[in-house]
Amino acid sequence: MKIEFQANGARVSFSGDFTFADHAAFRDIAGRLLEAKDETVVIDLSQLQFIDSAGLGMLLIARDEVGKTNRKLVLAQPQGQVKRMFTITKFDQLFTIEA
Amino acid sequence: MAGLTRRGKGATVATTSPPFEVSAVRDVVRPPDPHIDLLQSWMSLAEVQQRVIRTLVAEIQATSGFVETEADDLSGRFQRLALSAQQQTGRVNSLTSLARSIQVDDQPIPIDEIARLLKDTLGDVVGKILLLSKDSMSMVYALSEVSANVGHVEKCMAQLEQINSTTNMLALNARIEAERAGAAGVTFRVVADEVRELSKKTQVLAHTMKSELAVVIEGIATGQATLQRVATIDLTENILAKERLEILLAALAERGSDLERIVAEAVSEAGTISADVNGMVTGLQFQDRARQRLEHVVDVLGVISEALEVNRQKTAGIAPELRELAPADMEWVVGLLNRFTMSEMRSRFAADILQGTPHAEMHRDEGSNSADGSIELF
Repeated sequence: MKIEFQANGARVSFSGDFTFADHAAFRDIAGRLLEAKDETVVIDLSQLQFIDSAGLGMLLIARDEVGKTNRKLVLAQPQGQVKRMFTITKFDQLFTIEA
Repeated sequence: MAGLTRRGKGATVATTSPPFEVSAVRDVVRPPDPHIDLLQSWMSLAEVQQRVIRTLVAEIQATSGFVETEADDLSGRFQRLALSAQQQTGRVNSLTSLARSIQVDDQPIPIDEIARLLKDTLGDVVGKILLLSKDSMSMVYALSEVSANVGHVEKCMAQLEQINSTTNMLALNARIEAERAGAAGVTFRVVADEVRELSKKTQVLAHTMKSELAVVIEGIATGQATLQRVATIDLTENILAKERLEILLAALAERGSDLERIVAEAVSEAGTISADVNGMVTGLQFQDRARQRLEHVVDVLGVISEALEVNRQKTAGIAPELRELAPADMEWVVGLLNRFTMSEMRSRFAADILQGTPHAEMHRDEGSNSADGSIELF
C-alpha cells in the first residue's frame, strides 16, 4: 500500500492494497493522525483497490482511537471492492463515509 | 317421374298425374274404370306410405338410441374430465403452499421467513468477522508493544549485570586495601566481604531473571507467530459470500413470487375448465328432450300409419275389387331412394319399401360407425 499525507497531517491517501502486511505502517499513520489538531481526520480511499478483513479491523481500531479524543474519522470515496466491502459490513453505520 | 317432380334438392312439387297409375292392360275382362284405377293407385300409395313410415320410425328410433348412447358416453367422459379438473385444481392449490413455505418437523416455514433468518444470520457472521479482525489486530499491536517492552527489560538486565560486575570488582579492591591496612582495616574487610557476597547474590538473581526473561521472550515470539497466522487469514471471501447469498436469496424469493403468481393463474384456469366441463355435462342432457320429441314424432307417425291401414281395410271391405293393388311406380320409388345420400340408409329403405322386410344390418351399421369413428359424409 502507498501512503501520502496532506500538508496539515489530518488527511492521508491510501492507494494499492491494504492488508495485514501494512499493520506496522498503519500504526505510524494512526499516530500521525492522532497528533493532528483537526476535529476530523480523513482517510482518502479513492485510489485504494483492495482491502482485506485485517484492513477493516485496523480501520475500526483507528476509529476507536480517534473517538477517544472526541474526534471523527472519515473514510472518503471508497471505490470498487472496497466500497462493496463497506456496504456488506455496513461500515456506513460505523463511520462517516464521503461518497 | 310421373307423380312427383324434383325441383332442386329436397323440394318436390305435385303434378297432375298420380304417382301410382293402374296398368291399362292388366284387366282385360272389365272395361277400364278410371275411378277404380285411381283408387287402386291410392291404395298402393298408402301401402308404400305405411312402409316408408315404418322405415322412418325404425330410423328415428335407431338414431335416437344412437344419440342417447353416444350422449351418455360423452357425458360420462365429461364427468370424469370434470372430476380430473377438480383434482387438478386441488393439486395446483397444493403447489401454492409449496411455493410459499417448506416443511420442517411437520411445521410450515414461510420462504420469506427463511430468507430473513438467513440474512440476519449472515449479518451476524459478518459482524463477528469484523470483531474478530479488529480484536486480532488489537492483539497484534498489544503483543508488539509487549515485545518492545521486553526488549527494554533485556537492555536493563544487561546494564544490571554490568553494574553487578563493577560492584564485585569494587568489593574485591576494597578487600585488598583492607588487608594492606592490617588491624586498622579489619572492619573495612568485613564490609568488603558483605558487599562481595551481596554482589554474588545479585548475580545469581540476575541470571535467574535472564533465564525467566528468555522464556517470556520465547513465549511472546510464539504468541506473535500464532496471532499473525490468525490475523493474516483473509476473511474477505467470507464477507463477500454474504453479498452472493443475499443475491441468491432475493432470486429465490422472486422465483417463489413468480411461482405463486403462475399457480394462481393455473388455479383460476382450472376453475374455468371445471365450470366449462360441468356446463358441457349439463348441455349434453339435450338427448332427453330430443328423445321425447322423437317419441312424439314416432307416435304420430304410428297413428298416421294405423289410420292408413284402417282406411285401406275399410276400402277393401267396401270395394273388394280394390284389394288388388296397382304395382308400385318403381321410377318414383327409385327417385325417392336416390334422395338418400347415405348408402347404408338407402339400402335399409330399399329393403323395407321394395321388399317389405326391415334391413337386418341397421344396428350393426350404426354400431360400426360408432366404434371406428368413421362417418359417411353427405
